[in-house]
Formats: sequence, C-alpha cells, structure tokens
Amino acid sequence: MSAKYGNKSIMPADAAVIIEQPAKMSKGRFAVVALIVSALLAAVIVFTGLRLNLLDSLALQVEEGTLAQEALPGDAAYLVFYKVGRALAIAALAIFLCYALIRLIDPKRRRPNRSIWGDIGVYVLLTIVAVAMVFPLVFSVASSLKPLDELFRFPPRVFPSHVTLDNYSDLFVTMGQSWVPFSRYLVNTVLITFLGTAGHLVVASMAAFVLAKYDFPGSKAFFSIVVTALMFSGYVTGIPNYIIMSRLRMIDTHWAVILPAFAAPIGLFLMKQFMEGIPTALIEAAHIDGAGEFRIFWTIIMPVVKPAWLTMIIFSVQGLWNANGATVIYSESKKTLVYALQQIQAGGIARTGQAAAVTVIVMLVPIAIFIASQNQILETMASSGLKD
Amino acid sequence: MKSTLGKYVKLKQDNFRYGVEKAKRMKVCYLFLLPYAILFFAFYILPIITSIYYSFTYYNILEPPKFIGLQNYINLILQDQVFLTAVKNTFVIAVITGPIGYILSFLFAWFINELPRWLRTLAVVVFYAPSIAANAFVIFLYIFRGDVYGYLNSFLMQFGFIDAPVLWLTDPKTIMPVLIVVILWMSMGTGFLSFVAGLQGVDKKMYEAGYVDGIRNRWQELYYITLPSMKPMLLFGAVMSITQAFNVCDVPRALAGYPSTDYAARTIVTHLFDYGFSRFEMGYASSIATVLFLVMILCNKAIQSMLRKVGT
Repeated sequence: MSAKYGNKSIMPADAAVIIEQPAKMSKGRFAVVALIVSALLAAVIVFTGLRLNLLDSLALQVEEGTLAQEALPGDAAYLVFYKVGRALAIAALAIFLCYALIRLIDPKRRRPNRSIWGDIGVYVLLTIVAVAMVFPLVFSVASSLKPLDELFRFPPRVFPSHVTLDNYSDLFVTMGQSWVPFSRYLVNTVLITFLGTAGHLVVASMAAFVLAKYDFPGSKAFFSIVVTALMFSGYVTGIPNYIIMSRLRMIDTHWAVILPAFAAPIGLFLMKQFMEGIPTALIEAAHIDGAGEFRIFWTIIMPVVKPAWLTMIIFSVQGLWNANGATVIYSESKKTLVYALQQIQAGGIARTGQAAAVTVIVMLVPIAIFIASQNQILETMASSGLKD
Repeated sequence: MKSTLGKYVKLKQDNFRYGVEKAKRMKVCYLFLLPYAILFFAFYILPIITSIYYSFTYYNILEPPKFIGLQNYINLILQDQVFLTAVKNTFVIAVITGPIGYILSFLFAWFINELPRWLRTLAVVVFYAPSIAANAFVIFLYIFRGDVYGYLNSFLMQFGFIDAPVLWLTDPKTIMPVLIVVILWMSMGTGFLSFVAGLQGVDKKMYEAGYVDGIRNRWQELYYITLPSMKPMLLFGAVMSITQAFNVCDVPRALAGYPSTDYAARTIVTHLFDYGFSRFEMGYASSIATVLFLVMILCNKAIQSMLRKVGT
C-alpha cells in the first residue's frame, strides 16, 4: 500500500510505518552537503569578522592621528553591511545546523503532523526564551562572585573576570555583627518549615482521603470552597489573619506562620486529585479484611500516594521557606532567615555584592529541592486538573 | 398549587433526613475532615467573613470597631484618587500578564513536550525556576538600575540607542513596562507544571487516530486533540494565573519602591498593605480586600465558563 501523508484510507496499523519512513536523502550524501554549506557559512562569518576587525583598527589609528581621515574606506554603510552580514550568517548557520541535526540524528523519532521547519522554529524560539529566562538567575550568581570594582564598572560585564567569594565572606561578617546570631534565623526558618510541613501533610492528607474516596453529605460543597480558596493569597487574608492571630494571642510567635500553613488549600487540592486515581477496590478489599478507616488510610493509602505527599512537602517547604512573616512577627530573635536577608538586601549600594550573595543563597534552596524531586512532582501534577 | 408545594417541602425534608442518616453512618469521614476543616475555617474562611464585616466599620485596632455602613466603599470610589490609580495599574498588569503568562505557560509546556527526556527535564527547571526562586527578582534592580552601571542602560548606551541613562524604576512612564516584564518572567508557575504533566498524560493513541483521520499539522492537532484532553489542567492553570495576576505586590514593592514615584507602581494589594500595616486603618483596608476578592471571584467565574467552550 502506498502511504501518502494525510490519505484518509490508511489503516490505523499503518500509522507506525509512516512514522518510521526514512529521510528522503541518504545519510552519506546529506552529510557531504551539510559539510559544504556549513563550511561556506563559516567562511562568510570569518571573512566579515576579519573585515570588521580591520575597520576597527583603522578607526583607532584615525583617532590616534596616525592615519588620515580619508584612509577610512567609504562610510558607515560598510560597517553596517559587514555587521548585518555577519549576524545573518551566524543565524543561518545556527538554523542550518539545527536542521542537519534533526535530519541526521533523529529521522526515526519524528512524529507525523510536524513539519521540519516548524520544528526548527520551535527550537529556535525555545532556545531564545530559555536563555532570557535563565539570564537573570545567571546574572545574580555571576554578580555574587564579582569583586567590588567589577560590580561598578562601565561597561558592565555579565561574567566576572576575577572570581571571588568575598561577597559571601562579607555576608557572614555582616551577619556575625548583628546582635542576633545568624544561626538563630536559620533555626527559626527550619523550625517553621519543618513543623508547618509536617502538620500540613498529616492534616491535609487525612481530609483529602475522605474527600476523594467517600461520598458523604457536604463533601462536594466543602471541596468547591477549597478550590475557591486557592485564590485567597496571603495578601487578601493578611489583615483579618492579623486580627484573628491577635485574638488568639499568637502574634509574634512562630505559630502565626505555622498554623495557616497547615490548612494550605493547594496541598489538599493536589492530594485529593491524586487520591482519586487510586482504585476503590483496594479500599473495599481492606474493609472486608476488617481494617478500620484509620488503618486503611495510614497503611494502605499513604504508601501508594508517595509522589503526592512528596509534592505536598515541596510546595509547603517552598512556601514556608520564602515566608518572611513580616506582618505577624516583630521580635528580631524570632524573625525568619528570608526576613533577615531582606534586611541586608535593603542596605543599599554599599551592600550590592552582599545582596547578590543573599539572593543566590535564598534561591538555591527551592530550586535544588525542585530539581531533586521533579519526577514525583510531575507525576502528581498529572492529576491536578479541575473537573467540571 | 398547595399540594405541589407540600410535595416539594416533603421531598426536601426526606432528602434532608436521608442526608442526616447518611452523615450518621459516615461519622468517621467527618472525623478525618475535622482537623483540616477547623484550621481551614479559622485561617481561610473566617478571614474573608471578618474582612467583609470590618469593611463596614471604622477600625484602627486600638478602639473597638465602629459601624459606619458603606462609608469605606464610598470613600474608596469617590475620594481615594490613589485607589483608582491602584485599580488601573492592577488591571493593566492582570490583563496583560494574566492571559500572556497563561498562554506562554501552555505554549512552552507544549513545545518541550516532544523533547527527549533529559532535555525536557532541563527545560522544565529553566522555565519553572524563576517562579520559585524566592525573591530572586531583586536582581532586576541591578539590571534596570537608573545609572550607567545598570546593565540595560550601559548596554543600550554602548550601542548608541540612548545617550543618557534611563531611570527605568523611577520614571512613571517606564515603571509599568518593567514590572510587566519581570512579572511575565515569573509567570510560569504551578500552572506550567500542571500543563507539562498533563501533556505527558494525553493518550498517544489519540494522536495516531487523529493522524489517520486527516489532521495535517501541529496546530490542528493542538486544537482538535490536545486542548480538549487538557481541559481540566487548563481550568486549574486559569485559577492559578488569576491568583497570580491580581495579587501583584512583592515585585512592585521591591523594584519600584514603596511608595513608588507618583504611585505609578501602586497596585490594589500594595494599597491594602499601606492602609493595613502602615496606617492601621483596618476597616478601610478590609474594604479594599473585599473589593479585590470579589473581582477575583467574578474573573474566575467568567474565565471558567469561557474555557469550558474550548475545543468542543
């Protein structure tokens, strides 16, 4: 059967055959063509680069007075011409190499409905946006490694030419001078993060279990309220929360940060959605074997939903690690690490380097946790959808 | 007429009695739910209720709240010029960053979906990192700094686009665009993760079937197969991006200063903070919170009903 793209009469079994169709040109010939084209483009890049260098050095000599103004070839149009030509050649080379790579390395994995030019467009766009996304993060790491004179140089460079850890050691000196020891802030944050996450895990997964697996009066209404509560950010509830906390006499204690974290809606939401994927037969079988609800929850359900509780832990840790609690905690000795670091960051120009070091320290923890656990997180997020 | 009503009442009563019976049988369920429900009520529901209550009062924490009816709302709309600026700014930010951030999250989740596994992992980390990197956005203070040492200024000056440094974060004209760029940078959050995971879960057989049925290119495939199967994630992502788009607070406070020049970077939430935690006018701040809350709920309802129509 001749397989034509888009032919409606193809049997479903043939789809796989079409996907594995070999590329039109044989690999050997394609490689030769690829080599010639990239060599040509490279030659253009080198040539324009040399011309630009020559023009630069001529211009310098004119400036120094060793060469007459007339010796400069033509006008600025030359310069623009070479610059544009060079940029075009580099772009063409990049796109061409992309094409060659996809064709040579990957002909079998290609899916139907994908034009190769579309793929190249997507990859180029992805690369550009990815670089733009990473740039500020890289920039903060690089700035934290710059000595003072490089932080204030014109024109600034992204990467330091003399890498130094001075900013970090300065940071520890600054921290050491404050009358509350640095370790105190760290202990506060670790305490808040640990207690808040542990409580959240137990409380929210118990609730998620019954909401997901039993149909009792009020369960649907309760869950829809929780979904609406996904939108209550800490800001909207900040002021009434302050009033409630002060009535509970919990202002200026760590509980004011920990207790609301127990009931974070996002954790319950993700856990409930994930638990719905567990077969009900598992629970019924346990019932028949005479296990109580709590036993079922603790020994059967919890081990099965490990990805979900890892995700819960990570979301909760991220939230609490970044919580500065500035609105409910006032004593210096009870402040969190992030809050203390923000105070250093607010130190102005004199602390530019240290502020960059602070940024790096604070951002590394959540990113590292995410990288370590991203498989489980993605597995959980697969069931995160909101049903109608 | 009367008998129909009687029947209806009886039906409701029966339903209620049945519900109570069922609830009694499932007592243990409520026991499981109880700890969460108490905390959730205390720290998420009660705040909303108290917020609505205090919005009708004058309350400065020291004196007991005094009922003043709609006065707070009237002041908010008729007297408070800054609030109107804040509303305008919040809407500009929400209308631009909300939909664009949402669409970008989906598009990039979709683009990276077909990459080999290791590359996909890398891409997820790269796109997601800005939204979890705590207050890493303060690095934009150095990028957009108003003197010649600012990265963007020096870059533009070197290439001759500008002759004098632009005060990106102090000039009311440039504050908003800068904020929007930074917020967009951070907009690939939980919704993005949900999209990535959801796309992995779309049944591969559907694509093959679609191919056989004559789908010609990736955009048709996206519209007819991928989007309909992604609807639950799309709804979830919408909730997350509405929350993000309306609760802009940290970014303008850290970058544009607090208060910013001419209130050019004032948003509803920073306004709320100003009255709540700087001036301690809790009643007035509560009315701001109530307005914000209502706007968010309405927006959510509108967007959910819009998204239900996608691809059907």
